[in-house]
Formats: sequence, structure tokens, C-alpha cells
Amino acid sequence: MRKEYGCVLDLTQISAFAGLRPVGSGRGLIVRERIGLALATVMVRKGRTAALAAAVKEQFDIALPAGPHGSGSDSTSFLGTGPGRWLVTHDARTPGFVDSLSRKLEGLASVVDQSDAYGVLRLSGPSILEVLAKGVAIDLSAPAFPAGSVAATVVAHIGVTLWKVDETPTIHVAVARSYAGSFLHWLETSAAIYGMIME
Amino acid sequence: MRIPCPFCGPRDITEFAYHGDATLTRPAPGDAAMHDYVYLRDNPTGVHREHWYHSAGCHAWLTVTRNVSTHEIVGAEMAHKEAS
Repeated sequence: MRKEYGCVLDLTQISAFAGLRPVGSGRGLIVRERIGLALATVMVRKGRTAALAAAVKEQFDIALPAGPHGSGSDSTSFLGTGPGRWLVTHDARTPGFVDSLSRKLEGLASVVDQSDAYGVLRLSGPSILEVLAKGVAIDLSAPAFPAGSVAATVVAHIGVTLWKVDETPTIHVAVARSYAGSFLHWLETSAAIYGMIME
Repeated sequence: MRIPCPFCGPRDITEFAYHGDATLTRPAPGDAAMHDYVYLRDNPTGVHREHWYHSAGCHAWLTVTRNVSTHEIVGAEMAHKEAS
């Protein structure tokens, strides 16, 4: 298709972790990029926390978490990332999900589309905790960070949002897209001794 | 040094930014006390209350009680009432 005067008619979706490749010889860390996610931050309006929780329950059948916890499933989840603030992930490929979320929470919360702001990786494997311990300054083992826990923290000076979805353990990590390459460099270096494979 | 963030739990000091004395109250605009509020600081020993911002975590403003002689963190609470 001919493009005129720089007007872009077709946008190509480019994965944030396009450079993802196997490292080393083992299978210590198993990585899969979660591609095509709809992401949004939801910030509650003043004094509307209870009304927001009721709306989220009614619209999504999800109990809005009050602390650093996640509710929902990989399909749609609300992750507590700060007081009165959540990161919403949606993996059901519903067109216009963030717009519809914004309408459903009208007057209760400010909704900002973050779908193109973060790259998200799903991490698992027998050495996952050893790998993450090289950069994450908090205890991610089961008693301190059970499934459902969420943490906003830093890895090698890069801001990350981590959430544990099961006790295998499987941990998802969201990184600002412009830092995806730097984060991947840290991950490859840290996982090299255990081996890293793509799922 | 760790700060027990009321939202995130105990976190390393590198996740926080220091913002100074939390015991001051901003005077009315034009008040002669504004000069003292902006420029004059005590230099206390022992337990002090100060503002810290959890810049690499939950982005909440905290009021931290810290012993400035020993660096012991006595406690931390949300600076904003509604956030706690």
C-alpha cells in the first residue's frame, strides 16, 4: 500500500522482547513473552474506593485488592501497585478493552492505557528464584511472597512490577518498554549459569 | 537501612527519596513565618520525623520516624491520611 506524506496507514506490532533468545545449556529459567496484552493503570478518585471496588466486582467479578496483591486471572487481573492504584492486565484480546474499562469506571477512577508502555515476561523454571535473587532485593520465596503477591521494585536500577501467579513458582514481570533491552541483558547474564530457554 | 513501607513491606533505602523535616506546618501565604518555614531548620539529635517518597515502589509519601543518631527506623506511616 502506498504511503503519502509520511502518513502511516499500517502499524506493525513489534514485541518489546524481540531479542529474546536461549542462553547457556541448562533449562533453569523458562521465559515466555506475553504478547498482545491490554494494560492500564487505574487510580481511584478521592473517596471512591468502596464504589470502585463494587463496580469492579459487578463488572468483572473480581475482588479489588486493597494491598500489594493481585486478583483475577491471566485473562483479566487487577494488580495492586500502590495506594489507590492498580495495574490491570487483559489477555482475552477484546478489542477496545481499555476504552470499555474507562467507561465502566467512569467517575470512580482515572484509567490510562499502558498497553504500549510495558513489556511483560512470564518466568518459571527450577532456578527462577536463584536468578531473580541476583537483582531483586526482596524475598520472593513462598512464605514471604505467596502466589497472588505483587511487588513494585527495582532490578539493576530498572523499575519492575512483579507478580507471582502460582507456587510452581511462576512470576510475571512488567518492565517499561524502553528498558526491555536493558532488563533482558540483566536477565540473560543472571540466568546464563542455569540456562534460559524459551517456552 | 530498610524502611517498612506500610503498603509494600520492608524495602531497601535505595528505593526511597528523602524529602526532609515532617514536623513543619506550612504557614499562610504572605505570613512572616514563611521565611522560617522555607529556610530555617533545627539540627536535632535522637528521634525525628521526616518525609520519604517511595519513588521506586508504590510512589507513596511516607512519614518516617527515625533516630538520626543511630539511624534506627522506629516506624513509618502514610503521609496522606486517605492513603493509609
